[in-house]
Amino acid sequence: MQRAVRIGLLVLVIGFLGALVIFNAINPAPVDMEVWNEQMTKGDKETAKHHFIMYTDIFCPYCDKFSDAVAANMEDFGNHYIKDNNILFEIRVTDMNYENGHSNNSRPAGQAAYCAAKQGDFWSYYYALLSKIYKDYHSRGIGVDRNSEKIPTLDMDYFYDIADDLESIDRDTLVKCMEDKETIAELDNNTKKAASKVNGGVPRFVFDKYVADGFLGNWNTDNDYGQVKLLMDAGLASK
Amino acid sequence: MAIRKIIETISDRSKFALVSIAYLFKQPKYLLIFLFSFVFFSYFLTFFRDGSSNWQLVWSGLGIDRKFELLGRVFPAMLENFSSFYGVTIIFLSLLQAVIVAQLVFAWKHREKGQQIHGASTGGVGALLGFVALGCPSCGIGLLTPLLTAIAGASAVALADTIGQIFSILAFILLIFSIIRLGYINYIIISSKNYKEEHAKSR
Repeated sequence: MQRAVRIGLLVLVIGFLGALVIFNAINPAPVDMEVWNEQMTKGDKETAKHHFIMYTDIFCPYCDKFSDAVAANMEDFGNHYIKDNNILFEIRVTDMNYENGHSNNSRPAGQAAYCAAKQGDFWSYYYALLSKIYKDYHSRGIGVDRNSEKIPTLDMDYFYDIADDLESIDRDTLVKCMEDKETIAELDNNTKKAASKVNGGVPRFVFDKYVADGFLGNWNTDNDYGQVKLLMDAGLASK
Repeated sequence: MAIRKIIETISDRSKFALVSIAYLFKQPKYLLIFLFSFVFFSYFLTFFRDGSSNWQLVWSGLGIDRKFELLGRVFPAMLENFSSFYGVTIIFLSLLQAVIVAQLVFAWKHREKGQQIHGASTGGVGALLGFVALGCPSCGIGLLTPLLTAIAGASAVALADTIGQIFSILAFILLIFSIIRLGYINYIIISSKNYKEEHAKSR
């Protein structure tokens, strides 16, 4: 009897894993190559030969490792990948962590990112926000993985204060945009669209036909950029 | 009363298991098997620690030199496991799995002809559960998530988090249970071996 239960349990687990592998193999998430928000792209949309998409949530630590590494090596990333290989790089910001009940901060961060895009400088705001989150939390081991201390629910000023250091973003316009929820429909719509394309998780990287989920990094931007390069080269090598 | 008896039995068997593990590790052959298994499991779990991107990179169009670079990058990541609680759970899981492998090899080598080794399949289930529980549930990235989202839709990401945590705990319980069980079997084997040796000497 005991033996039958053990064998049954083993078959169940192996069957579950097998189903997982088969499901992943026969159910690739649909790819949507239309740009969602022009401001959230780098590269020339008209002439680009490749399209590299990153589905992200600003409070997803693995997404942030990727973006921090790119920000620290922007010259090489911009020249070697975007320019030389004619890539259109697009970030699709979602608030999946809010929708899944993992972070209340994802929603205002997502809204703020789209508000910054409305003011025409998504990238400066995005990298400034990531840099602040790294300095305040990730560098101290907070919010970095499943077992670490969670980042507390942040005050809205956390998102507004970033505008004070950026010439391109007007604080009052940002506050109004957030208070009037001007970008919430776009955020919700994009999160909904993303949910059907990422098998539930971010970061998901879609480079033409090549797809990768997750990012093995350690917050060392040199090390993590090595992983970024592997990802980019895998995308370029995909047929 | 019955619970007290179970606790006493577990406590006794744990002591016997510890004695047999200490005996095993005094022998260089089993210590090597343990160390090799530990590195293997630690590498394997670290490879899948943050999602399946490494696996996808292995099967990408990257050249062979870049694939070796990718595989090499996992070694420093293994060392970084010591710097976070999540990493430490991976190390602990690998340690338990490595102990089981060393115990299994010993039991397999010294078993009576046709004798079954109880505890091996439990250890196997524990190891598998520990593996599927990996990933970053707060991002939805995990080895469980794709299947769960297929069954229950995008809302299953939160479910994957809970199930992942339950699987992690179950994995630890099953692995420890398996170690105690195999350790007890090995203790009997060692005692019997010692008795036979002493009996042979006294003849």
